[in-house]
Amino acid sequence: MAKVLIPTPLRQYADKNDSLSVSGGTVGEVLDALTMQYPELRRHLYTDEGKLRSFVNVYVADEDIRYLNKDATPVKDTDTISIVPSIAGGSAGVAEPPAVTLDKDEVLRYSRHLIVPEVGMEGQLKLKQAKVLMVGAGGLGAPLGLYLAAAGVGRIGIVDFDVVDFTNLQRQVIHGTKDVGRKKLDSAAESMQDINPYLRIDKYETALTSENALEIMRDYDMVIDGTDNFPTRYLVNDACVLLGKPNVYGSIFRFEGQATVFAYQGGPCYRCLYPEPPPPGLVPSCAEGGVLGILPGTIGLIQATEAVKLILGIGEPLVGRLLLYDALGMRFRELKLRRNVECPVCGDHPTVTKLIDYQQFCGIQPQPVQTATTGEIDPVEVKAKLDRGDRFVFIDVREPHERQICSIPHTTLIPLGDIPKRVNELNSADEIVLHCKSGVRSGKAAEFLRQAGFKRVLNMKGGILAWSDKVDPSVPKY
Amino acid sequence: MITIAREAWETIAVHLEAAYPKEGCGILLGTTDDDRRQASTAEPCRNIYQGEQADRFQLDPLDILAADRRARELGIDVIGFFHSHPDCDAYFSATDLANSWPWYSNVVVSVRAGKVHHAAAFIANDDQTQSTPEDLNHPEITWQKY
Repeated sequence: MAKVLIPTPLRQYADKNDSLSVSGGTVGEVLDALTMQYPELRRHLYTDEGKLRSFVNVYVADEDIRYLNKDATPVKDTDTISIVPSIAGGSAGVAEPPAVTLDKDEVLRYSRHLIVPEVGMEGQLKLKQAKVLMVGAGGLGAPLGLYLAAAGVGRIGIVDFDVVDFTNLQRQVIHGTKDVGRKKLDSAAESMQDINPYLRIDKYETALTSENALEIMRDYDMVIDGTDNFPTRYLVNDACVLLGKPNVYGSIFRFEGQATVFAYQGGPCYRCLYPEPPPPGLVPSCAEGGVLGILPGTIGLIQATEAVKLILGIGEPLVGRLLLYDALGMRFRELKLRRNVECPVCGDHPTVTKLIDYQQFCGIQPQPVQTATTGEIDPVEVKAKLDRGDRFVFIDVREPHERQICSIPHTTLIPLGDIPKRVNELNSADEIVLHCKSGVRSGKAAEFLRQAGFKRVLNMKGGILAWSDKVDPSVPKY
Repeated sequence: MITIAREAWETIAVHLEAAYPKEGCGILLGTTDDDRRQASTAEPCRNIYQGEQADRFQLDPLDILAADRRARELGIDVIGFFHSHPDCDAYFSATDLANSWPWYSNVVVSVRAGKVHHAAAFIANDDQTQSTPEDLNHPEITWQKY
C-alpha cells in the first residue's frame, strides 16, 4: 500500500489523519480509493468534471505527476504520494484595496473641482490617490505644499531637515512668525493639515542623498524639486530618470525663474539641459544672492499646476519646454528642450546607471575639518584688537546695498568684485582683516590678496553674522 | 489567531526586506490548537513567478513539499504562508485569494521603502471566494522613518 501524505488543511476531511495507507496500482487508483473512503476530500482535490484542481499538485516522491503519466503514473507499495498546494498571489489583482471614494464633507470641499468637467469626480479621485514627493519645504515648497494640500492630493511626502528662521518668512508663506525655530517639516505639515485634514503627509527629516533617494522616492508618483543647490538637483534628476518618475522642476534667482517637467515620457532631463554643473560658487543661492519674495510663489505654483495636470492627465504638460519668467519685465518666454541622445542618464546609451557622489560631481570639496583656520580670525579677537587700538585695516567686501542693512564700525567698503582694481589702495605691509556676510566672499578676497603677495591677511570667520552673534547683538542679521 | 515567534518574525522581515522591491514569500511551520496557531519557524523561499515580481509571487511546490517533510520530522505542521506587498498595504488581494488554499494562515507584510511597515493575516474560505482577517501577533516592528 502506498502512503499518502495529507496536507494540514485537508486532514479535517480525513479523520484528522496526517497520512494514510491506500492501495492502488496507479496514482489515479490510489486517489480514487482515498476519496471513496473520505468523500469530502474529493471536492477539494477534483473539479466537478473530475479533473485534478489546478492549485493541487500531486507528487510521487519528488516528481510532479503532471510531468509523469498523470493519473496513470504507476505506484509501488513503497512510494509516498504527497498532495501539495499551489500557493501564489501578489498585491496586483482585480480587487484593489478598498475603492477610493469621497465622503460628504469632501464632496463639499472639492465642489469647485467636481463641477469642472475636466476634473470631476474621476479627477478628484485621481488626486486623492496621487502620491507626490516634495523635496524641500522652502521658497518653492511653501506655495506648492499649500496648494497641493488644498487641491486634495491624497499623499504628500516632504523631505527637509531645515529649521524656520526669520529670513525665510519673506517668501516661505507656509511658515509663520510663531514657527521660527521649529522644524520646517512640522511647520509645513501643520499648515497643510490645517487646510486639508484629509491628506496624509509623510515627513522625511533628512537631506536627500544618493543612499536614501531611491528608497524615499520609490513610493511616489512624481517628485517636485524645490531645492536650491546643484548636487541635490542632479541627484533628484538622476533618481527620477532611474525610477521613471517625472521631475517637476523649478528654480529662482532674484527676479527670474524657470520651470519645466523633466524625465516624463521620453522628454528631456535636467542633464540634457545642463550636462555639467557650474563651477562651485559661480551661481549664488537665494541666501547669497537674494530673491524677490513673491518670485518663488509664481514658480512654485507653476510647478503645482504641472503636478496637478500630470495627475489628472489633462492639458499639455510643460515637457520639452523650459518656461522662463522675468518678474521685472513681467514676461514669460519658452525655450525648446530636446532629450539628448548622448545624455549620460537618459540618453540611448546611459553611462550613469546608479546614483553617484553629487557633491563631488558638482566640485564641492568636503569641508576640511578646521584645517583652514590659518589665515582666519574670530570676531571676538577682532573686537579685542579694535579695543586695544591695534593697527590694522578692516575691510568689508560686501556690496553697498548690504552695507545699508548693517555694518561694523571702522570698516572700509571694497566690494569683492572691486578688489582687483583697487588693490593698489592697500599696503601689503599692513595687517588686513576682511569680512563679508558669512565669511565666504571675504575668504575669496583673502585668497586673492595672498596670491597678490599680501602676507598679513586675515579672514574674519563667520562674517558679520558671527559678529552679531558673538560681539554686538544689536547688529541685525539678514 | 496566529502568533509568530520572534526568530520566525525576524526571518520573515529580513527575507522580505531583501526581496524588496520585489515580492518575497515563504512558508510558516508550527502548531495549531483549535483556532490558536503558533508559527515557530519561517522558511524563506524563492519567488518563482515568471514575470514582474514587484506585485506577484509564486511558491515552488517543491519547496512546500520539502517544508512539509521537515515539519513532519519535527512533529509540527505547515500552517501557512507569508508574502510581501512592496509599497502597498497588507491586504489580501483578489490574486492572493484566488491562488490560496483554505484553512492556511496567509500572512501579508507591507514593505515600504525597503522596510517592514505593517502586517496582517487572512484565512480563505473553502472555495476561495472570500477571506476573513485572522488576528496576528508578532513581535514589535523596529521600523523607523528617516
